[in-house]
Amino acid sequence: MGGLQKKKYESGSVTNYVSRNKARKKLSLSLADFRRLCILKGIYPHEPKHKKKVNKGSTAPRTFYLLKDIRFLLHEPIVGKFREYKIFVRKLRKAYGKAEWSGVQRMKENKPAYKLDHIIKERYPTFIDAVRDVDDALSMSFLFSTFARTGKCHVQTIQLCRRLSVEWMNYIIASRSLRKVFLSIKGIYYQAEVLGQTITWIIPYQFAHDHPTDVDYRVMATFTELYTTLLGFVNFRLYQTLNLVYPPKLDGQGEFSLKSECEEDYALESESYSEKLSALSASLARTVPLVEDEEAELDLFPAEGVRYKMVCCSFFIFLFILFFLRSEGTNSIMCCTLCRCFGGQVSWDKSLCIGSTYDETDETITHHIVDRPTIDKQYINRYYIQPQWVYDCVNGKILLPVEEYFLGVTLPPHLSPFVEESEGDYVPPEKLKLQALQRGEKPQAEDDDEEEEEDDDDDDEDDQSEDEDEANLAEMEEKRAQGKSLSVKVTPGKVKPENRMRAEQEEKAEEKRLAIMMMKKKEKYLYDKIMFGKKRHVREANKLAAKRKAHDDSNKADKKKKKKKC
Amino acid sequence: MTNNKATHERHKRVAAAQPGFLPVKSSLDGNSSVIKPRKRVNKNKKKSWNKFSDIQDVEEFLDDVRLQERATGGLISEKTDDSLFFVDTGETDEKDTQAQTTVKKGKHSKPLRIDLILQPDSHIPAPKNILAFQQPNAKKQRRISENAAKLAAKGVLPRREKLLQLRRAAAASGVSVKEHPVANNNPDRAFYDLWSAGTPETADPYYLEQTKKKLVKRPDRLNEKPSVLPAIEVIAPGGSYNPDFFSHQDLLREAHEVEVKKQKAEEKLARQLAVNEDKATEESTFKEQVEGLIEEEEIEPKEPEGDTEDTVIGPTATQEKKTEKQRKKEKAKRIKDLQRKAERQVIDKQQQLFQLRSIHTSLKKQEQRTKMRQAQRKAQQEAQKSMPRRLSRLKFQTPDLDVQLSDELASSLRSLKPEGSILKDRFKSLQKRNIIEPRERARFKRKYKLKYSEKRAFREIE
Repeated sequence: MGGLQKKKYESGSVTNYVSRNKARKKLSLSLADFRRLCILKGIYPHEPKHKKKVNKGSTAPRTFYLLKDIRFLLHEPIVGKFREYKIFVRKLRKAYGKAEWSGVQRMKENKPAYKLDHIIKERYPTFIDAVRDVDDALSMSFLFSTFARTGKCHVQTIQLCRRLSVEWMNYIIASRSLRKVFLSIKGIYYQAEVLGQTITWIIPYQFAHDHPTDVDYRVMATFTELYTTLLGFVNFRLYQTLNLVYPPKLDGQGEFSLKSECEEDYALESESYSEKLSALSASLARTVPLVEDEEAELDLFPAEGVRYKMVCCSFFIFLFILFFLRSEGTNSIMCCTLCRCFGGQVSWDKSLCIGSTYDETDETITHHIVDRPTIDKQYINRYYIQPQWVYDCVNGKILLPVEEYFLGVTLPPHLSPFVEESEGDYVPPEKLKLQALQRGEKPQAEDDDEEEEEDDDDDDEDDQSEDEDEANLAEMEEKRAQGKSLSVKVTPGKVKPENRMRAEQEEKAEEKRLAIMMMKKKEKYLYDKIMFGKKRHVREANKLAAKRKAHDDSNKADKKKKKKKC
Repeated sequence: MTNNKATHERHKRVAAAQPGFLPVKSSLDGNSSVIKPRKRVNKNKKKSWNKFSDIQDVEEFLDDVRLQERATGGLISEKTDDSLFFVDTGETDEKDTQAQTTVKKGKHSKPLRIDLILQPDSHIPAPKNILAFQQPNAKKQRRISENAAKLAAKGVLPRREKLLQLRRAAAASGVSVKEHPVANNNPDRAFYDLWSAGTPETADPYYLEQTKKKLVKRPDRLNEKPSVLPAIEVIAPGGSYNPDFFSHQDLLREAHEVEVKKQKAEEKLARQLAVNEDKATEESTFKEQVEGLIEEEEIEPKEPEGDTEDTVIGPTATQEKKTEKQRKKEKAKRIKDLQRKAERQVIDKQQQLFQLRSIHTSLKKQEQRTKMRQAQRKAQQEAQKSMPRRLSRLKFQTPDLDVQLSDELASSLRSLKPEGSILKDRFKSLQKRNIIEPRERARFKRKYKLKYSEKRAFREIE
């Protein structure tokens, strides 16, 4: 007995947490500055396990931080800079109030600024860490680069974001690391593989934004500040890995400057270079000139065979293809990225945008990408296709037949490449077709649709045959459950050719059956359950497929009727 | 002050030189024979000194001295004879007349009388204002300049000079000496290889941290992400601009379910908040309960008053003191109960031997239950990792699913209308991943009430 009486809320989990306001006071920062600091340093709020204990008996929800985190923040040199900035603002306001313009000028020149380099180094100790976390940075800077120059954020930030995103795109083209593209109603999802890391980012369509009101722009600007710094350093290092010059320079610049006559229409003298860079149509200068290994690779594929053939090296699906873009707005830029990323060459109308490399009249153009339903003047030796073809080719990693993508044709659906079906899932027929193409099967001619559909069905069967034995067993079990005895009949025997493979398979199946028979009651129960689940899954998939077939049939019937009417 | 002091000195000196002026001491000695009866006066105050000492003669004398000085510029006794006297030869008359004529000729040169009056007639020159000719801190400045000269001879330049030279050199070469820190969002800012392996630090890390040459090490705990969710969550396949029919339907169904749920919640709230017109109030229930009783009530309540008092007192009255016998009896009973209980326990324990199997099964059941609960808890914890936590007053609100209805779908990429805002999506994603806490916009709060008053012009019109 005896000793001091313990006071409540003085030990235990209370001591580990600190409320936001207390943390703010400890750092002697304003709330805005505190929030900024937390974002920059990567300090996140915590939800304590026992809120009532931490909150001193109150159950009111509050924001808590770990006390140790806040103590760590105390060492940050940027805190001092924040305070300095606060004082700077105060002085400036005073000078304005007193109309001391020379003082204002002087103060503005000596505006305190801080650097985030050390924070980036601290948060991402190795380069790979930074690359792994670059998703957010990319999305944010691509987003900010599309902002109009309204008062929502600094113009300088927008410019920096634009520069960094162009640099990134140039890297992606140079390294040929793009893997997936998905045109969604929100924006365009990209996925690339950079140094073994899968990186996904989203780019908004370049239309006017309606700025949502429930977003805290100050917070977003702080994130952007951090992310632009991160992305800059990552870009620098990535360019180094490819022996590219950073800040990026166009290859064969002299030639370029000769070519551009109508440049002045698009951009000022000072901006034209960066505009040309952002057109992404030209390759970049390297620190070490590239040995001509690309040409060596060219010889690997005989020119004729490339088309409609599965290309083992998916990086060069557009190797012999010269594109000409005739689609509106930024679509062209996106297409261009894709085409160049996979070995093609791209140009567009000179009057459309800066940075075109060859004319529309060029005889060697093979594919003309158009986004309009019709076009007046057509050349005979090229395909006129819709832009979706490019995206679908990239996702399928092969050259798809162009027929489905001609002008004025209803396009096949644009499937999401980010979906990975597991066994027994419903797979849309378009995807099945694509898979067949990838396997190297020749696609049927477009005229006989029915044949194709039969093909699809075959595919379905293939899929089912993969788990054939299970299905067989299930059938058997079903029959047994129903109590039907197998019909007994004597028929003249046939000599079966002995199939070794078949025998092996049968043996395996037999073994499995025996194993099932030997199962304990409990295990058997579990096994039955699993099998039942699988079967249900398959059944659902089949149902969906049947539905789809019915839908297609009805569509086809409608079409035929229309045709007849016509 | 200095001036006054000087004149005072001079007066003293002059007074001492005069034959008629006797020193104070000597006068005391000389007049000792003719002593008047001395008037006894306190001499502890200056006032009394002035009052009772006769200085008339001294004053007169000094006045005379001052007059001489004023009129002639010095004491007449000290002047040379030449300056005082001249030999009258009579020739001066001519000169005087000539002078007069010249004066008459130059009528304008004659000064005005008023000027003559204002002319100082004293021969004592006005004292100079010394302060006007003095330099402040002259001594200090002289010392400083001497020091600077000495340093310059050694070749050491003052700081200001050095900076000036530097600035000049920089201007000549075209590079600014002081580099202003570049703003973080400067579009032309340079980057470098941040992760290049520099020279490893050999010094003691504690020393470096304490002297702020190295930042404090970031705890590893901070590099963990607060949520396992990916940074970019790709939209469902139904969100394609040209979706597959079924995946589009799936997405629509999902969105529909969300919407239905929301609506149900709203309806529930509305139902709970609805004011039912003919709902029973306290008054009405009371009326209902009392219906038909009111007339009786008026008669009844007076009757049972006496009875109630009795019933209240009753139980207290019955509690009488226990007798010794009763007490003993109770004690014996208690002991007996205890004994019986103990016996029962022993028997039960023995019986448990026969219940072994059932005990075993119950134990097993319990174990199983704990295991199941453990697994559940673990699964819940895993699920929590990808859930938004409660980080502030507000809960995380899942944003609406971005969906385009079948008739809204664009026929081609050109005519596509994007749905939703990516900015909002990013913001919500940050909240969902517990990186920032959900917050609502700070509303503007007026500190003081607005006060309306009519302008005078307006009032006049009215």
